[in-house]
Amino acid sequence: MTSRPEHLPERLALISDVQAAEYISTGLLEGREDVPSIALNKVAEALPGDDARLRLHRVRDLIDDAMTKFRDERPTAADAWLAPRLHETLRLTRREAAEKQLWTYMALGVAPDYVVWRHLSEPKADGSRRRVARDKFVGAHYKQTFARLWWAAELFRDGSDYQPVVVACGNQDMLNSALRLDIVDHRPTAQALVGLMERGTVRTGREVNALASAVNAAAATLMYDDIAPDVERDGEPLREWVAGAESALPSPRNNLPEGPEQERVPEGAVRRLIAHFEELFADASVRGRTSDENE
Amino acid sequence: MRAYPYPRLTGSVTARVTAVRLRGPGGTREQLDTKGYSVVEQVVALGRAERDDWQTARLALTATVPAREIETKGHWSDVAVVAVLTEGATNARTVARLEPDVEGGRDWIGEIEFDRDDHLDRATLAVHVVATVGGIAGRIIASTDQEWLIDMTAEAPLRERQLDVSTVSFARGAEWLRSFRDAPWIVDTAGRMPIVRLNSDFEGLVELVEGHGSKVESVVGEMLLAQMCADVWTAVFHTAIGDLEIEDDGTPLFPPDWRGAVLREMLPDIVPGRSVEDALREVHIRRTGEGGWTDLQPRIQYAAARRAEVPKALAGTVRDIERLNQETHA
Repeated sequence: MTSRPEHLPERLALISDVQAAEYISTGLLEGREDVPSIALNKVAEALPGDDARLRLHRVRDLIDDAMTKFRDERPTAADAWLAPRLHETLRLTRREAAEKQLWTYMALGVAPDYVVWRHLSEPKADGSRRRVARDKFVGAHYKQTFARLWWAAELFRDGSDYQPVVVACGNQDMLNSALRLDIVDHRPTAQALVGLMERGTVRTGREVNALASAVNAAAATLMYDDIAPDVERDGEPLREWVAGAESALPSPRNNLPEGPEQERVPEGAVRRLIAHFEELFADASVRGRTSDENE
Repeated sequence: MRAYPYPRLTGSVTARVTAVRLRGPGGTREQLDTKGYSVVEQVVALGRAERDDWQTARLALTATVPAREIETKGHWSDVAVVAVLTEGATNARTVARLEPDVEGGRDWIGEIEFDRDDHLDRATLAVHVVATVGGIAGRIIASTDQEWLIDMTAEAPLRERQLDVSTVSFARGAEWLRSFRDAPWIVDTAGRMPIVRLNSDFEGLVELVEGHGSKVESVVGEMLLAQMCADVWTAVFHTAIGDLEIEDDGTPLFPPDWRGAVLREMLPDIVPGRSVEDALREVHIRRTGEGGWTDLQPRIQYAAARRAEVPKALAGTVRDIERLNQETHA
């Protein structure tokens, strides 16, 4: 299996797709090779300044703990644990998190062993080699190993409360299908989706997918922002949280950490959407079930 | 065209940014100068701000909606006008409700504020009219045809990073182009947006404009682009002013699309010191025969050159040529 990089610099860095391509070998994707860490760090662009958020070991320690903790479980179980803690450790703004080169560096320079451990495909009956999808190293925000966890935490947190993130990340289909849709950019919508999982209205992957696509389709003619308005976003708590990184303790490993003190999503808005989505889902699942029976 | 299971507005909805205010650390404030946003391009260029450490931007908006249609057709209740600012790269979504300027009027005004930290490159701003239709609340009954682009770093409010230029052989192109076979370029205002058509039969011109050539060529190419841009502004102004709808009492109306936006943008430079409505009436009267249309031409030219930043491009060209001369002699 791909191992922990031998050389880990002090600080996080950036690496472009073109540069990264050289290091994403078939051997790495099949978990047989390591990333040549010294060579990689020569081409990577170190991030300037001495911002505490960019200290590489804070993240690496967290990832080490995740791999130890979930050693004997299915690797997918690590998502719900790691997402909030990764978010709280990095304390990025969205502007910073939109920088794909940072995530690519995380996958290649910080923890290629985690990427392989988490995303190596299940053994196949035909005996073909197990493989990691390339987009787990360099990919869209809803695909890349670390970006998807960070964005899941950012979009599903309720102010400083990461509990909804744990629920959302507990279902791979919520993580994979909802995260790529624009509907979750509206906080009350994201919270209502989580609410329906908590109530048990949607349980299986198939149900989650049916719900997400029904809600998304309805958004073409309905403005959820109007039906269920969110509070105005205030950037100040986030700035304070970012500034507080210097004195922050490592993310708690047993309890959930706390995010930036932004205002919670209005409960009334979430309740209205839950009721609305329940109806949509009832319609969608009636149609879905008929087709299931035909399978 | 999409089919909708409920009645929607047929009239168009337009939006324009009327002011941009920025706030930075320690409560510093800045008002973006008017060259930082363009109603014809529908772009706000926040890179034009004096300080690049601004934290929040607040855009003042006016949306024009078909108020009479809403009133006469009567399908819709609880009508709201909502501005939505989004950027895919950061999954950011900011929403603001606008309020009617006058009860029952066409113009709705409001402000939308967002954080620099929530954006990477370019956000888009759309305005939607939302209403209760057939008992269902929150239906989108109309949206702006074209969204505004809010560019976080650009210094010029241009939609395309450069002017929309298409290269075509005038001699072998569409029939109407053949009569211009000797022209290096023409401005085509027939479409939804004006386009510059570049004559590929004109030897060396395309290379010059695309700036792939030597230093000298790129210097000249930039000047040429500014000049084309000025041509575009002049052409769109004439197109817009020549095609006005006139109310019964003779009042000319601003067109709802980019033509109206162009007029609002240029009129203050053409008839200074007057409201845009007054300026429009004045220009319309002059054009339709009361005299003084000729006198207005230098002002139109001035307004176009200013928007195309011809003086700036020219100054830059002069400076670059000097530098090139020095390099040659060194």
